[in-house]
Amino acid sequence: MRSRDGNLNFSLSICSIIFLLFNFTPLKADEYLISYRYVVKDAMLYHEAFHIAKAMKKCVGTPQKELILDINHENDLKIIISQNFDTFIEYLQKLGFHIKHQERTQELQNISTTILTLQTTCFEVDFNDTFVKITPLK
Amino acid sequence: MKYALLLVALLSASSLIAEKTPADKETQPNEQSKNITVVCAECTPAEAMQLTQKGAPVKSQPAAEEVLTKKQDIRISVIGQGVAPMTTSSPAQAYALAKRAATADAYRLIAEKVKGVRIEGQDLIKNMMVQRSTIRSSVDAMVKNANVVETTFKEGLCEVEMEILISHSQFAQ
Repeated sequence: MRSRDGNLNFSLSICSIIFLLFNFTPLKADEYLISYRYVVKDAMLYHEAFHIAKAMKKCVGTPQKELILDINHENDLKIIISQNFDTFIEYLQKLGFHIKHQERTQELQNISTTILTLQTTCFEVDFNDTFVKITPLK
Repeated sequence: MKYALLLVALLSASSLIAEKTPADKETQPNEQSKNITVVCAECTPAEAMQLTQKGAPVKSQPAAEEVLTKKQDIRISVIGQGVAPMTTSSPAQAYALAKRAATADAYRLIAEKVKGVRIEGQDLIKNMMVQRSTIRSSVDAMVKNANVVETTFKEGLCEVEMEILISHSQFAQ
């Protein structure tokens, strides 16, 4: 005979789902370390380096203005960024670049080197179904 | 009576001399005006010409330099230039690379304007002749919140117009 309390297993599973939803839905975001550097020699791009790696330690800092990128069914952040590289670089420009410029004029001939660097910065990355939210921590 | 007549004669003579002296001065205005320089900061070229015709040389004064104050922010605008490398696989790649170089140049120009440039000059003179002349300049700065206003690409040259708004609070420490 069926209990007046209803199906215990069913109610337990519902409760566990609700518990999980409330406690684990905002999954902890991944943290990545990103650095970028490019060298311009005599008004021409000479070298460009972009490094991205998962943070091995928890980052400390307050979240800054975020960037949202479409993921196009990708899970790899490096691929997602490379697909939207110009957008990402423009976003990095807002964060700020360190500029080092050296110029030498000898016998009326000018040689110049400009190095722009984004120092290694920790980014909090939230993956969603259709987009990824990248937030720098400073 | 004689003394009175003599006094009148002296007075009339002195008055005649007094009348003659300013007239002489009026005939030679250029000699004095040559020593006067009119400083005109906001004169139009026509106004400056008028002043020059009057005899006074006009010295144009540069406009007052913009100074960062608590009440007013300063907007700095620069145009950076960059060229595409000769070996590119497509025009799009050429554009992207030239834009990157132009952006770096624009950043450098902003850094130069805001923070300044370090200049070092070196001349090597041997037997009273310049053997080698070298000028080195360097900039080291951190630039944040610069905005790209416009980008143009023409005949392999990319120009990026960039601007930055500087407020007093950014420097107050």
